[in-house]
Amino acid sequence: MSAMELPLVVFTLLSQLAIGLVLVGAIRQFAGDGPAGTGAPGLRREWLLAAGLLAAGLVASLFHLGHPGGAPRAITHLATAWLSREVLVLGLLLAAILAAALTGLGRGLVGLCAALGLGALLVQGMTYAPPSFPALHNGLPFVFFAVTAVTLGAGAAAWLAPDSRQGLIAGILTVGLAVGMVVFLVVPCVWLSGGTVMRETAQAYLASPLYWTHVVLGLALPLALVLKAGRIPALAPVLMLVGAVCGRIVFYLDTVHTAANLGGLY
Amino acid sequence: MSRWTKERVEEALTGPLSRRTFLKGMAAAGAMAVLPCGLLAPEAAGATESYGGGYTVFRNACPRNCYDTCAIKTYVQDGVAKFVEGAPESTFTRGGLCVKGNSYIRSTYSPDRIKYPMEQQGRGTGKWKRLTWDEAMDKIARKILAIKEQDGSLLGLGLTKYSGNFGITNYGVEGMMSSLGYTTRFVGTPCWPAGIDAQNFDMGSMWCNDPEDMVKSRYIIVWGANPAWCSVHSMKYLYAAREAGAKIVVIDPVFTQTAAKGDEYWQVATGTDGALALGMCRHILDREMYDKDWVAANSLGFEEFADYLRSNVTVDWAAKLSGLPAERIVAVAEEFAAARPATVWIGYGLQRHVNGGATVRAIDALVAMTGNIGKEGGGARYGHLQTWGFNYHAMVQKPPEGAVGFVGASGPKGEFDFAGGDKTVKHTDRAVNINKTAQEILDARNPPIRMLWASCKNVLSQDFDRPKMIEAFGKLEMVVVVDHFFNQTVEQADIVLPVTTCLEEWTVNVSYWHYWLALNEQAVKPLHEARSNIEIAAALSRRINELAPGSCTFPTEIDTREWMEAEFNKGIYDLFGLKSWEELRDGPVKAKLASSAAWHDRKFATPSKKYEFKSELCAKNGHEALPAYKEGRKAYDKLRLLTPHSKFSLHSQFQNLDWMEEFNPAPVVYIHPRTAEARGIRHGDAVRVFNKVGEEKLRAVLTANVPPDALLLYEAWFNGRKFNCQNLVDDTSADMGAFKTGAPGVAIHDQFADVARA
Amino acid sequence: MKKQLGFYVDAKRCIGCFTCAMACKNQYHQENGVVWRQVYALKTEIYPHHERAFYSLACNHCQHPTCLEVCPVNAYAKREDGIVVHDQEKCIGCGNCIRSCPYGAPRYNPALKKAEKCSLCWQRIDAGLAPACVQSCPTSALSLIDLSTFDEPNAVQYPPGYPRMEKLNPSTRFRQAELPTIYRRDAQ
Ligand SMILES: Nc1nc2c(c(=O)[nH]1)N[C@H]1C(S)=C(S)[C@@H](COP(=O)(O)OP(=O)(O)OC[C@H]3O[C@@H](n4cnc5c(=O)[nH]c(N)nc54)[C@H](O)[C@@H]3O)O[C@H]1N2
Ligand SMILES: Nc1nc2c(c(=O)[nH]1)N[C@H]1C(S)=C(S)[C@@H](COP(=O)(O)OP(=O)(O)OC[C@H]3O[C@@H](n4cnc5c(=O)[nH]c(N)nc54)[C@H](O)[C@@H]3O)O[C@H]1N2
Ligand code: SF4
Ligand code: SF4
Ligand code: SF4
Ligand code: SF4
Ligand code: SF4
Ligand SMILES: [Mo]
Repeated sequence: MSAMELPLVVFTLLSQLAIGLVLVGAIRQFAGDGPAGTGAPGLRREWLLAAGLLAAGLVASLFHLGHPGGAPRAITHLATAWLSREVLVLGLLLAAILAAALTGLGRGLVGLCAALGLGALLVQGMTYAPPSFPALHNGLPFVFFAVTAVTLGAGAAAWLAPDSRQGLIAGILTVGLAVGMVVFLVVPCVWLSGGTVMRETAQAYLASPLYWTHVVLGLALPLALVLKAGRIPALAPVLMLVGAVCGRIVFYLDTVHTAANLGGLY
Repeated sequence: MSRWTKERVEEALTGPLSRRTFLKGMAAAGAMAVLPCGLLAPEAAGATESYGGGYTVFRNACPRNCYDTCAIKTYVQDGVAKFVEGAPESTFTRGGLCVKGNSYIRSTYSPDRIKYPMEQQGRGTGKWKRLTWDEAMDKIARKILAIKEQDGSLLGLGLTKYSGNFGITNYGVEGMMSSLGYTTRFVGTPCWPAGIDAQNFDMGSMWCNDPEDMVKSRYIIVWGANPAWCSVHSMKYLYAAREAGAKIVVIDPVFTQTAAKGDEYWQVATGTDGALALGMCRHILDREMYDKDWVAANSLGFEEFADYLRSNVTVDWAAKLSGLPAERIVAVAEEFAAARPATVWIGYGLQRHVNGGATVRAIDALVAMTGNIGKEGGGARYGHLQTWGFNYHAMVQKPPEGAVGFVGASGPKGEFDFAGGDKTVKHTDRAVNINKTAQEILDARNPPIRMLWASCKNVLSQDFDRPKMIEAFGKLEMVVVVDHFFNQTVEQADIVLPVTTCLEEWTVNVSYWHYWLALNEQAVKPLHEARSNIEIAAALSRRINELAPGSCTFPTEIDTREWMEAEFNKGIYDLFGLKSWEELRDGPVKAKLASSAAWHDRKFATPSKKYEFKSELCAKNGHEALPAYKEGRKAYDKLRLLTPHSKFSLHSQFQNLDWMEEFNPAPVVYIHPRTAEARGIRHGDAVRVFNKVGEEKLRAVLTANVPPDALLLYEAWFNGRKFNCQNLVDDTSADMGAFKTGAPGVAIHDQFADVARA
Repeated sequence: MKKQLGFYVDAKRCIGCFTCAMACKNQYHQENGVVWRQVYALKTEIYPHHERAFYSLACNHCQHPTCLEVCPVNAYAKREDGIVVHDQEKCIGCGNCIRSCPYGAPRYNPALKKAEKCSLCWQRIDAGLAPACVQSCPTSALSLIDLSTFDEPNAVQYPPGYPRMEKLNPSTRFRQAELPTIYRRDAQ
């Protein structure tokens, strides 16, 4: 993988982990944890962690810029550039999380965070769905990112949440992992029946050990562990993180660009 | 997915960010810092560049050994050449250059250039010590004087020079040798000698139509030439002719780029073209489609030729030998004979065979008997030297008083030896065959060749049988190489001298193909400590005369511009309609031709003043009087090996530039899929090509562009790679060449080899 | 139709000589590893002979340029004559245009840490000159066209070997390569 994309792996994973934490936190809250200090004293810590992760992700994204100093200008093309929108939405999300965490996790702000989180996933999905990657020029990046957010978010939450909440979180994770399994196994097969570049993408994914590490270590094994234990074992989030890193590298490295086939069939 | 795709993905996505190119980019960025005015700093698309003004424009010419000899416009700002363009005044190049010509800025400002005189601490060690020019000249002069002392003559000093730079003043390299006395000269040419002799026997000289008149042709056979790569500016005339209704047939063992642009391609069995041409002649004879009037009025020996055809040649015989369908031979023969005018472009690749001269004679005969010689749009096009009538002021130098040399008559010293051998002098140079350089060095006795001066010649890249050459170099006491880059010959040198590029010197250039004349101005001051070839000669003369007064007649001070001026004469001015060379500052000019056709007056230069189907002169030179079929070389290994010219290089030049590597990063060998399969070789595999001469390791590319019985790899020098096709090419002579160029040609394409996975 | 400059790539004439690509380097001295124009050999699925037919491609100066759309800092602009210009001053080197252009036209300059691409030699055009690549092509296989006046009946927009991107509407037009009649020894 080129030096250029490594910061993107870190950035997208960290921001999605943060969004996952926010989403799982919001579900928990709406499912009865209540505002911080009442239902679950540790909840605020999770939200602050999410803010920290998101901030770290945004910092990582700077390493991907040739000229990080120009980053503030990156929101100047909201009219058409999904990247501008992504930066804006993530910035707003960060502010909202901090506001929510510091003001005691009121329902309104938590709801706003959840909405912004979902929106951020959508916008991020669009940023990485340009026409140059026929395999991804669709809703798939959003789906991939959502799976990452939910599974990593639930995994991280499981580490921090009290025993009483483990069941709910395990449930969320189970659904996330199951959906992830289906998505990551079915999608390349669908690509195989697409145009040349899509097919080459599928072949590249399927031939990549990293792809299989993601599916097996990051999805199948944790799923098996969770189903067997009925809760999230401490090892599972580690496996999922390793898997997600591998999966994201594949995403950036092995998705075939139309330009790679100039002169060839499409 | 194959790894190839992955690499391409990465390349397409991140290009320079892949590790290898990234590091290279950084290295270049470092190198950039030392260049004047940040020349190679990238200019942004948004840079405020004015194309209208702000530049001083100089006239240059590409002096490479190339058909096109393009006139160049060089745009200079603050003393730095910024970009080049083809001169729009030339109708031949129409403002264009080729991929190589467009890299001149990089070759001149390359960080890899030889910057100052240097001495190697042991050949091949790469341990170079910088010398001042004075030190270098002193060492060389002392060695030359020591040789004279030891042997009583300078025959121990050998000069090898060929086509690195065809600028007229660069014949001063030969002049430098003459001014020292009688030396050993590597004579002849690896390039086109067999065909030159053939055309001399047939017509009395080599003379071809103006290539621009190909538009008038109704039928064009491109026979063993690859203009799509080797003469890119000629292609538009082929296209124009076709658009006007002409048919283009390409005959080559390889499906070349030219073949892909023709109407019909014949994959001939290598070295059997003579049979093919004679088969066509026989059919035209049988059908009585030959030009009876032309033959009667302008030729000698046609009846004997016809008898030869009737008793020795049939279409079926030609079909069997060449591997082509008799039906096509018949059809194309008829089409060719019926089309008026029809022409054949006879390539140089075609004649690099043990029967190459005989083949060219057979093709000449085909063109002649159909009455196409002397016609606009017709002709047996091979090359010409009609526009080369300069003074050779730099070349013609007197030996010093009392110089001792070789006793015996002197023959021509190559095709450009316009001075000619003076038959009255007692002493001459010792002429040895340039195509057997290694063997000649090994064999030379009384005296041996002690010292070699290589200029405009990349001996270890372009001469034959490299392993033997390395052995021969072992016998040399001193090797001096004058060049631009640390190439494989420089690797084996003791002293290397930096020479100017064409942007840094004055000279004048003409072509052996088209009829344009171009001035080459000094566009920029020589970089580093580079000097032109004649300035080097002057420096040597100065030092050697200091050490031993009167030992060199070469002027010790020269002005390169004055020397360029001194090359002009009335003949040149009249031919080009010039009053002064200064007019060339407004652009290149074309010779004022009575007709675009060679031999338009049908006054041939043969002894009989006719086209000689039967040439006694040819017989006297040890060949058949008639253009009879001559067998090719017997195979000495399983597959034919072809090593022709690449589009990315001019022999050993240009491919070494990083700009060129961008588009052609590494050498490969092309193998027919069936041939590869039989050896378990897949596309992209590392393979070994080997024969009795040596071996080469490189990657395999499978393609049916090459016939199943042949391997193809292109000659080139890649910077930083060991690749060298001469490890696979021996020095077997072609049939002809000695008559006009002093030595027979070389059978470059009569080579054989096998291939296996490495 | 509005003025829209573009390239006409005549693969029937093109000899794959890379002169155009090098002419661009000659004019702009791009960093090693950066090419604005590349000569792509057609794969044998499309033209049956290895490296014998080519498309010389640079930026297509699309009607709806993806590069322009995705750039977060508005570094791209489309001129009146349709040329898509990249402004190096504005670029922050995020790589988004490089990743997003389906034709691989923008490239990353590792020295400047910015993107760059074919400018269609707008400075030359403004000075009344042909683009460097076009002027250098020895066979006139590459030419500058204005789509508002271009009418070449044999021209195609999406020949095999070139991705169909209708939303972008690239301004390059093509004529396809042809095959000679071939007589081989091994066919007998
Ligand atoms: N296997 C194989 N061998 C071949 C051929 C082949 O097809 N296959 N082709 C043959 C043919 S046709 C030819 S013409 C020869 C060409 O053989 P050479 O004449 O040796 O060809 P080049 O490599 O063009 O140039 C030789 C050297 O001249 C240097 N040079 C350039 N300009 C100057 C200058 O101004 N002064 C000095 N002193 N040096 C300069 C160049 O850097 C280069 O190192 O090769 C022959 N060898
Ligand atoms: N790009 C580029 N241009 C060049 C040069 C260069 O090195 N690179 N070199 C210049 C020089 S010095 C020269 S001499 C000319 C050479 O110009 P050309 O003669 O056009 O080129 P070559 O590549 O030497 O050979 C032409 C063809 O001869 C074919 N050939 C070999 N043997 C036979 C045979 O037995 N029969 C037939 N029919 N064909 C055969 C080869 O397959 C090859 O395709 O080009 C000049 N122009
Ligand atoms: S190598 Fe030949 S075609 Fe290229 S610029 Fe020089 S003379 Fe012209
Ligand atoms: S310069 Fe012309 S002929 Fe050569 S590759 Fe480019 S478009 Fe093709
Ligand atoms: S080809 Fe690519 S870089 Fe050029 S205008 Fe179209 S989208 Fe932009
Ligand atoms: S690399 Fe530069 S031009 Fe390209 S999208 Fe990023 S900021 Fe815009
Ligand atoms: S138009 Fe100009 S910038 Fe674009 S590829 Fe051609 S030479 Fe390069
Ligand atoms: Mo040559």
